[in-house]
Amino acid sequence: MKSLVYLLSIAVLALGVYAYEVRSDNQELKQTIHAQYTNSLSNASEKLSYLQRSVAQSLLFQDEKALQNELDNIWRTSNELRSSISNLPLNPDVANQWLRYLGKIGDEAKRAATEGDYESWQKKMTVVHQNLEKLTDEWTVATAQFFENDRNFDKWQQVAKADLEESPFKNIASNLKTYTEKDFPLTTSESDWLKKRDLKHIRDREITKDEAIKVLEKLVPGIKDATYTVSRSKEDAPYPFYHIQFVKGSCIGYADITVKGGHLISFLSERPVQPDKNVTQEKVKELTKQFIQRAGYDDLEIIEMQENHESWHVRLARVAGKHRAIVYPDGIQMKISKDSGELLGLNAMEYVQKENIKDQPVIPIDWKKFFRPNTIVEQERFIYTENEAYQLRLCYEVIARFKDDSNKTYRVVVDTENHDVIKVEQLP
Amino acid sequence: MKRRKTFIAVLLLALLIGAIPLMKPEESSAFSNQVIERGAFGDDVIELQARLQYLGFYHGKIDGKFGWGTYWALRNFQESYGLKVDGIAGPQTKKVLVNNSDFDREWVHAQINAGREFTYYGGIPLDQQVKKGKTGASKSKSYQLPAKFTERDLQLMANAVYGEARGEPYEGQVAVAAVILNRLESPDFPNTISEIIFQPGAFTAVADGQIWLTPNERAKQAVLDAMNGWDPSENALYYFNPKTATSKWIWTRPQIKQIGNHIFCY
Repeated sequence: MKSLVYLLSIAVLALGVYAYEVRSDNQELKQTIHAQYTNSLSNASEKLSYLQRSVAQSLLFQDEKALQNELDNIWRTSNELRSSISNLPLNPDVANQWLRYLGKIGDEAKRAATEGDYESWQKKMTVVHQNLEKLTDEWTVATAQFFENDRNFDKWQQVAKADLEESPFKNIASNLKTYTEKDFPLTTSESDWLKKRDLKHIRDREITKDEAIKVLEKLVPGIKDATYTVSRSKEDAPYPFYHIQFVKGSCIGYADITVKGGHLISFLSERPVQPDKNVTQEKVKELTKQFIQRAGYDDLEIIEMQENHESWHVRLARVAGKHRAIVYPDGIQMKISKDSGELLGLNAMEYVQKENIKDQPVIPIDWKKFFRPNTIVEQERFIYTENEAYQLRLCYEVIARFKDDSNKTYRVVVDTENHDVIKVEQLP
Repeated sequence: MKRRKTFIAVLLLALLIGAIPLMKPEESSAFSNQVIERGAFGDDVIELQARLQYLGFYHGKIDGKFGWGTYWALRNFQESYGLKVDGIAGPQTKKVLVNNSDFDREWVHAQINAGREFTYYGGIPLDQQVKKGKTGASKSKSYQLPAKFTERDLQLMANAVYGEARGEPYEGQVAVAAVILNRLESPDFPNTISEIIFQPGAFTAVADGQIWLTPNERAKQAVLDAMNGWDPSENALYYFNPKTATSKWIWTRPQIKQIGNHIFCY
C-alpha cells in the first residue's frame, strides 16, 4: 500500500512538473506573439501617421525636386505600411481593404514620379489626404485597447477570430471600401483587364455537357472513352464553365470548358510518368506544332521550353500585327510527358479572349547609347505586353548580357513609343 | 642475355602503355544521342556544363539546367573551335567537346548529390575545387522554374500545398498553389509568397503547424504546374472546407467551383 502511495505521489508530482512546463512554454509563446503583434501594430500606427503627413506635405510643393522627394517617401512608406498591416491578425476584409487602398496610394505616387504628372497627383490627393486623416483617427480609436499594457493576449485572439460586425475595425473597413471606390475608380485599362480575365466578351452560343466532352476529346484524343464526371461552375462564378473530371486507367484529370462557345480553358492530367527520356526536345517541338495545328491555334509561336524530371513545359504566344509582334497576354501553356510525348496539360485561359491590337508609333533606340559599353545586345524583337497601368503596349524585347565571363543575361522590355522601361529581369 | 634484356624492355613498355589509362582521370562520354539546347535539363546538361567549364568557357553553376549562361558558353566554345555557332549541342559539337575535355562523371554527380559548391576547371586538382559547406539544396531535387520564381518559392509553396491539401486530388493541390499565386497578383494581398503564406489567419496549415511537414513529390509537381500557368481554381483568391470552416465571413465570398473537399471563391 505504502509503495502504491509512493508511486502515485511520484506520478502526480511528475505530471505537475510537466503541466507547469507546458503552461510556461505556452505563456512564453503567447508573450512572444503578443510582442510581435504589438510591434507590428506600433509600426503600422507610426507609418500611417507618417504617410498621412507625407501626403499632406506633397500638396505643399510645386518644386519638382521637393515633390519627387515626398513622392518617393510616400511610395516607400505605403509599401512598409502594407507589410505591417499584413502581419496583423485582422479580419480578412479589413486587411484586404487596407492593402488595396495603400497599394493604390503607392502606385499613384510612383506613377506621378515616373510620368511627372504632378497636377493629377495633387488633384487626387486633396481628397485622399483628408480621408487618410479620418482613417488615422479611426485607427487610433480602434487600436487604443491594444496598447493598454495589461498583458492581455486574449484581446488579440478575439480580434483574430471576431466577425467584422463585432470588430473594432468595422468602421475602418467600411470607410476604406468607400474611399477606394471613390478615390481610385477603375481606369478603362484596369476595367478591360478585369473583363478579359472574367471572359466577359465571349458571346458564343451555349453548349451542352456532351458537346463539352466532344471538345475535350477532339483536343486530347488520348482520353477518348474515359469515365467522365461533369459538373457546372457555381452560380457566382464570373463565367460559367463545365468542370469535367475524368479517369482512364491510371490517368486522372480535369478540364474546364466554357459554357459559351465551348472553349477549353484548362486541362491537366496526372499519371505515373516513367523516368525514361524517350522523347527528344525536337520531338516535343514537333508534337507541339502538330497539336496547335489540330486545335486551330494557328497564330501561335513557341516562346520558351523548360524540361523537368517528368515533363516539358512549353510556352506559346500569339504573333500578330504588322510587326509580327509576340502578344504575351495571349499565350497558352502546354505540358508534355517525357516518356511518351503525350499531352498532359493545356492552359488556354488567356488565349480564349484575344487582345485588340492597336497600332503604335515605333521610335528607334540606339542600344549603344541606351546600355553601358560593357553590355552586348544579343537579340531584339517586338512584343506586346501590359504596362503597370494594364495598358497593352508595343515594346522592344531585348536580350542583353554583360561582356564578361559571368554571361549574366537580362530581358529588357522598352516601350517603342515613349521608351519607358517596362520590365527588366535576369534570365536563368 | 641480350634477348632477355629485350624481353624485359618490351614487358616494361607494355606495362607502361597499359598503365596510361589508369593515370588519366576517369572519363566517360555519357552524352546521350539527343541534341541538347536551351531549356534542356538533366545529366546531358551536367556533362555539357562540366566539359565547358573544364575548358574555361563556362563559369556558372553545374546544375543540369541549360539556361542562358550555358547557351553563351556553348556559343563561345563553338566559335573558338570553328564549329557552327548556334548554341545547340549536336553530334559534331559534342564530339569536339569530348575530344578536348575530360569529364569525371562520378565525381561531378557526387558533388551535386551532396549539395556541395564546386567547380570543374581543367588543370586544377579536383579536391581544390570544392568549397566548404553546402548550398542547402542537398539531396532535394532541383527544378527548372519560370524566371520570376526561385527554388525557395517552390519549397515554401510545396510546404503550404502539402500542409493544406495533401489528401486532395492533384487538381485540388494545383488549385491551392494557384490561389497563392493569384494573391500575389491581387492588390488586396501582400507582395511576396512568404508574406502571403504567413499572413496571420490566411492558411490553416500555418496555424496548426502542418506547413512544416516535408512535402512529397506530388505537392512539388502541383506547385510547378501552377507556376507554369495552370489555375484549376479559375482565378480564386480563397478556398475553404465546408465541413470544417468556422468563419461566417468565408461563406459570404462568391463561389466558383468545388474540387475535392475545397470550395474555391473570390
